[in-house]
Amino acid sequence: MKRFKKIILTLLVILIAIQFIQPALNQNGQVMPTDIEKTVPVPANVSGILKTSCYDCHSNNTHYPWYSFIQPGAWLMASHIKNGKAMLNFSQFGELSNRKQQSKLQGIINQVKDGEMPISSYTLIHRNAVLTAAQKTILINWAASAKDSLSAND
Amino acid sequence: MKNLILGMATLTMVLAACNNSSSDKKDNTASDAQSTNTPVDTLAKQVTATTETTATASITEILSGYLKMKNAFAKDNDKDAAAAGNEMIKAFTSFNKVALTTDQAKIYNDIEDDAREHAEHIGSNGGNIKHQREHFNMLSKDIYQLVKTFGGGQKLYYDHCPMYNDGKGANWLSETKEIANPYLGKSMPTCGSVKEELK
Repeated sequence: MKRFKKIILTLLVILIAIQFIQPALNQNGQVMPTDIEKTVPVPANVSGILKTSCYDCHSNNTHYPWYSFIQPGAWLMASHIKNGKAMLNFSQFGELSNRKQQSKLQGIINQVKDGEMPISSYTLIHRNAVLTAAQKTILINWAASAKDSLSAND
Repeated sequence: MKNLILGMATLTMVLAACNNSSSDKKDNTASDAQSTNTPVDTLAKQVTATTETTATASITEILSGYLKMKNAFAKDNDKDAAAAGNEMIKAFTSFNKVALTTDQAKIYNDIEDDAREHAEHIGSNGGNIKHQREHFNMLSKDIYQLVKTFGGGQKLYYDHCPMYNDGKGANWLSETKEIANPYLGKSMPTCGSVKEELK
């Protein structure tokens, strides 16, 4: 029993200690010239949806709520952001080839339509990121027309 | 209980380790892809016309991976489709760009950059055939253009299915005239028609 207490205590110390190890923040603080808003037209209502439901993991500017600093959650969130940005980064959308931009927009349509994105492990805590049916339609229609405008430039 | 706590502690450590390594490597992929254009251009100049045949030879490998994938989807086989996706990635890697002209290399790199990502998604999503097929739809467009640019080295049919994707339709390449629909699989095997014959 004494040993058990010791282990609990050690873990507690570790848990407190890791609170002081915080991953680097994903906050660039500026709009890059390669931002999607500078690549294709993004109406205000779409921009709002993207900011609330997508940008936390798919841009260079994450909005961090207070609870996102509690470890080990902060690490989990950092890994989400890393994976998200690897797949699609709205801040650097302009760096992609026209062909790839079209693929990514089609990917947005597919993922939103299938209900795969925003990912459930994220919306579980970030409830405000959940898309309503109306928001989904707005997003899908926007992505489709943006894709059409890009294919016209081919 | 003790094991559980220990397990959690280990998991925390592992998470921390994973997170710190290889941070933000992917951020630079786009610029990397652009910079690869230059060595290809210089290399192409050094090479004589004799190597031309190798270019068509390895397009055949890419195409063969694609056709295997198409046939797997027609049978609703996500595992074989994934295997074919990984085969395509290998074919892209071993594709000999040296024989391409500057213009050809530009077209090829543009297509490969996109197609490789679709192949990767298909390769890593065995068990999620719906997602695989979404990428197959985009991949088919890329491979069609690849064949149009470089020639497939065999007779091919460009087929169209009007029903897939909520009636938006989708295309695919086939080595046979008979329709075997890779998007709807066994539920609608013969849906579709030949749009174009490619030699």
